[in-house]
Amino acid sequence: MERNEANILTLDGMEPEVRIETNALMNGSHAVIRSLIAEGVDTIFGYPGGAIMPVYDAIYDYQDQISHILVRHEQGAGHAAEGFARLSGKVGVCLVTSGPGATNLVTAVADAIIDSTPLVCVVGQVSKHLLGTDAFQETDVIGVTMPITKWNYQITSADEVPEIMAKAFYIAKSGRPGPVLIDITKNAQTEMMSKPFNYTFCHKLLGYHPRLIPKVDQIQKAADVINQAKKPFLVFGHGIKIAGAEKELLELIEKTGIPCASTLLGLSSVPVNHPLYAGWLGMHGNYSTNRLTNECDVLIGIGLRFDDRVTGDVTRYAKQAKVVHIEIDPAEIDKVVKAEAPVVGDAKEALKMLIPLLNVSAHDEWIAQFKALDAEEEACITVPELAPTTEKIKMAEVIRMLSDKTKGEAVIVADVGQHQMVTARYYEFKRNNSFITSGGLGTMGYALPAAFGAKVGDPSREVVAIIGDGCFQMTLQELGTIAQSGLPVKAIILNNNFLGMVRQWQQLFFEKRYSFVELQNPDFITIAKGFGIAGHTCAHRDNLSDSLDAMLSSDKPYLLEVLVEKEENVFPMVPSGACVSEIRLK
Amino acid sequence: MTTYTICVFTENSIGLLNKITIVFTRRRVNIESLTVSETERKGISRFTIVIKEESREKVEKMVRQIRKIVEVLAVFGYLNDEIAFNEIALFKVPTPAGAKRLDIETINKIYKAWVVYWGLDYVVIEKTGSEEDIFDFFNYIKPHGILEFVRSGRVAVSKSAKSLGDYLPEAEWEYYL
Ligand SMILES: Cc1ncc(C[n+]2csc(CCOP(=O)(O)OP(=O)(O)O)c2C)c(N)n1
Repeated sequence: MERNEANILTLDGMEPEVRIETNALMNGSHAVIRSLIAEGVDTIFGYPGGAIMPVYDAIYDYQDQISHILVRHEQGAGHAAEGFARLSGKVGVCLVTSGPGATNLVTAVADAIIDSTPLVCVVGQVSKHLLGTDAFQETDVIGVTMPITKWNYQITSADEVPEIMAKAFYIAKSGRPGPVLIDITKNAQTEMMSKPFNYTFCHKLLGYHPRLIPKVDQIQKAADVINQAKKPFLVFGHGIKIAGAEKELLELIEKTGIPCASTLLGLSSVPVNHPLYAGWLGMHGNYSTNRLTNECDVLIGIGLRFDDRVTGDVTRYAKQAKVVHIEIDPAEIDKVVKAEAPVVGDAKEALKMLIPLLNVSAHDEWIAQFKALDAEEEACITVPELAPTTEKIKMAEVIRMLSDKTKGEAVIVADVGQHQMVTARYYEFKRNNSFITSGGLGTMGYALPAAFGAKVGDPSREVVAIIGDGCFQMTLQELGTIAQSGLPVKAIILNNNFLGMVRQWQQLFFEKRYSFVELQNPDFITIAKGFGIAGHTCAHRDNLSDSLDAMLSSDKPYLLEVLVEKEENVFPMVPSGACVSEIRLK
Repeated sequence: MTTYTICVFTENSIGLLNKITIVFTRRRVNIESLTVSETERKGISRFTIVIKEESREKVEKMVRQIRKIVEVLAVFGYLNDEIAFNEIALFKVPTPAGAKRLDIETINKIYKAWVVYWGLDYVVIEKTGSEEDIFDFFNYIKPHGILEFVRSGRVAVSKSAKSLGDYLPEAEWEYYL
C-alpha cells in the first residue's frame, strides 16, 4: 500500500511537502531501501562488504521491488550507474562498502561530476565510535570525495536516513546534475529509528536554488545580439540532452537558419543529416566547425562549458565574436569564454523563451563557407578513410558500416582513445540521446560497464560499446556482470595492439619515440568465452559485414573483436596549444 | 596585488571549511587570513577570508565556485574600500625587574592599546585596528622584546546599508538580536 503511494508520488511535477507516512518502525538499513523505493529507484549497482552488510541484508527483503545488480568491481558499479542515468534520465544508484569499496568507486564519481551525471552513491562506513581510529577498512571517504561530489554527507544515526536520502536525490538530479555520496556508518544501519519511517520529498534547500527559468532581460539581450548577427554560429553541449531540449534546438535553428555544431557530449542531439548541422567541435572535430568558429560574428553556446578540448588555445578562440552563453551553472559563465550576453537557466526553458524573440532568417552564403570546407575534409580524410586500400581494416569503415546497419539509431557507448574519436566522427547519429562517452575525465574502461548500465536503463534500445584494446583491459571483468544478467549488450573491440591515442601523440609530437604504448594482448574471444559470452574475431575487410551482422543479430551479449590498422592517426586535429582555426587535415 | 575580502555565509555543518578552502587550493591561491563565527542568526556561520590576488576575474570565478557549494547561502567579494574591517592582535611583552618601564600612557592614548593581563614578569597587550595600526604598534613595542605575537585575521562588514536578511532567503530564523 505504502509502496504504491510512493510510486505515484515520485512522478514529475512533485508538489511541495509530499510525504509518505507509515507507522513502520525499522532500522537504518531498511530506511535506506525504503527511501530508494520512495524515490522510484528500481535498480541498484553494487558490491557488498563488511561495512554495508546490514543494508545488503535489508535488500534481501525487497527483491520484488528493487533489483540489485552485482558488478565485479566498484568502478564498474559507478560507470554502470552513469550509463544507466545518461540513457534513462533517472538517477543512477550505487551501493558499496567502506574503504577499498569506496575508493574503487572514486574514479566513477570524478567522471560523473565533470560530465554532470546524476548519481547517488551509498557507501558503508565503520561504526561511529570507530571513526577516526584507523579502524579496519576505514577511509575518510567524505574527505576524499569532497572535491568530486556535488554534495556529500555522513549519516551517523538511523533517524537521519529519510531526510538525507531525500536531499541526496534532490541535489543529484536538480540544476546541473552530479554525483552525491552518502557515507553511512554501520551503527546507523543497524540501530532502530526512534520514530516511524516517514519520507518527505525534498524540493528546496536553504542555500541551493538552481535557476531553471532565465531572467527575461537576459533572454532579451541574447535575442538582440543574435538578431543582429550576420554570421551566427551555434554550438551546443551535453546541456541539451540533460534538459531534453532537442526539439527546441531544432526549432531555433530552423527558424533562424543558424548553422550548429556539437561538442562530444552533445552528439546525437541534432540528426547528422540535418541541413543546418555542421558537425562536431574540438580537437578531433570537423574542419569547417573549428575553422569557422574563428570567423563567426556571434557565437551562441548552449549547455556547454567551453572545455579546453573544444576551445584549443583560448586566447585565440572566437575573439572576433560576440558570445551568447546559455548555461544552467552560473559558475560556468565567463569561466573560460567571456559572454557578452549570458543567460543562466535550463536550456529547454531558455530556448522556449528565446525562440519567439528571434527573427526568421537564412544564412546561405555563410553556410556555403561551411560546405566548402566540408568538401576539403571529405576529399582529404573522409573518403580515403572510408574506402581504404590498406590491407588491414580501418576503424572508420567499421564504425560507418555499424552506423549503416543500425540506421544510425543505436545507442553507441564509446571508450576513450582513437576509437572514441573515430566513433564520434563516423557514426551518423539520427536519433536523440544515442551517444554516451566519458568526455570530461576521459576515463579508459568506461564503455563496457556504462554500456551495460545503459542497456539496463533502456532495454528496448540496441546498445553497442566501441572499445579500444587498451581500454577493454581496464574493466573487462564486467563481462561477468553482463553474462550474469543475460542482457544483450554488444561490444566491439577495435584492436590495434597499441594505446593508439598516446602512440599518435608520440608520433606527431615526440619524434615517434614510442614509449610504452605497444600491447601484447590476450585472446579476447577466449576470455569472453570463459565468461560465457559468445564472440569472434574479424581480421579481413571481406568478413566485416557478416561479422557485424552476427553480432547485431544475436539476442545475447556478444563480443566482436576487429583487428585494425596498427598505426593509423585520427585527423583532423587541433594540436595542443594551437587555436581552433589552425586545425590540421594531416 | 590587490587585497580581497570574501565573506561567505553558510549553514553551520561539519566539513564545510574544507569544502570552501578546496576552491582556493585548487587554484593555488594562498589564504592570508580566515575567521569563522556564528552570525546574528542561529545556525548560520560567517567566514571572512582575505586573499591577495592580481586578477579580479579569478576572484569572481572563485566566488561563483564557492556559491555552488550546497551549504553556502551567500558569498560576497569586497575591495578594502567597500568594507569596515579590523583585526585584533595580542602582544606578550617581557617586564623583568630593572628593565625599561612600559609607557602605559602612550600605549593607551597614542596607540589605543590595552593591557589585558598582568603576569609576574610580562604583560599581554591587546591592540585592535587595521594591519598598519597593528604593525605601527609592533614597531613601537619591539625594543621591549616580544615573547609572543598573534593576529586574529580580519573581520569585516560591508559598507552598504543592507542587512544580512536582504540577501539570505527568509525562513523561520531564530535571531540573536
Ligand atoms: C584511466 C586512464 N589512463 C590513461 C589514460 C590516457 N590515455 C588516453 S587514450 C589512451 C590509449 C587508449 O588505448 P586503446 O584503448 O587501445 O584505444 P586506441 O586509442 O588505440 O583506440 C590512454 C592511455 C586515460 N585516458 N585514462
